Amino acid sequence: MKELFPVKQVMGFVFSLVLTAVALSVYFFNMSFEMGMTILLVTAFIQAALQLVFFMHAGESNDKKAIYTNVYYGIAIALVTVFGTLLTLIWGYM
Amino acid sequence: MKLNNTEPLEYSTNQNQMNILGFWIFLGAEIMLFGTLFASFFTLENGVGSGPSGAEVFEITPVILETVILLTSSFTIGLAIHAMRINNKKATLAFLGITLLLGLSFLGVEVYEFIHYYHVGVTLQTSAFSAILLTTLGTHGAHVTFGLFWGLFIFLQIKKRGFTPETTNKSFIFSLYWHFLDVVWIFIFSFIYLKGMM
Repeated sequence: MKELFPVKQVMGFVFSLVLTAVALSVYFFNMSFEMGMTILLVTAFIQAALQLVFFMHAGESNDKKAIYTNVYYGIAIALVTVFGTLLTLIWGYM
Repeated sequence: MKLNNTEPLEYSTNQNQMNILGFWIFLGAEIMLFGTLFASFFTLENGVGSGPSGAEVFEITPVILETVILLTSSFTIGLAIHAMRINNKKATLAFLGITLLLGLSFLGVEVYEFIHYYHVGVTLQTSAFSAILLTTLGTHGAHVTFGLFWGLFIFLQIKKRGFTPETTNKSFIFSLYWHFLDVVWIFIFSFIYLKGMM
């Protein structure tokens, strides 16, 4: 039974639950918008990195370099899309 | 077919390695797809017109439930792949089965949520906010629905054929997809729900 629950995965799961609980604090406690967004940004990106490395085994194959380059490229495009949109359509008019 | 025995079965042939790399490239494109949905959401979220805002209609209980269910299913699909690598077919099928049941319960909660939105007057046509909210949630939900069928077929294939370079490769790629859906949900949870209710 024990060999079915490797420590690494169990730790990853516990850690992801902890991160979720921390993120929930922005709902249950009163805090400024800036403070809340900081907490959410930090917990969400750690959580994503956790899944990628612990669960998706992104670094184990021979194509490690290609896989990481591709993922970083996808993330970069997504971030440029999101923040570029905010900059041109929202923040510029505030 | 050249078998490389130093690698786990799902990497054992050149075709298998290419399949996995190819799927990662697909996931890169999916990241961009959801990036555009989030960009649209942040642009339109204040355009509520005469309809309700997110803060008025979001309920914390189903959201927490969905998050815990999806996190747990992401954990169990990881365990399924681990069991597959130690060649334990029974455990692999059990963990895969649990994953699919959790996926189904996630969808159940999401359906409840959508019915709730309908009753409080949030439909695709209510406002810019409601349209982009349902489009984003719906795109994620459609991915989960697709994954359920995909996972079911893989379950049946492992049951019938056991672990071969093909079935292990398919299972591993399915696990990547499922983890990815969890990652997307984390961002929905943080930047749509929690940010909206803050």
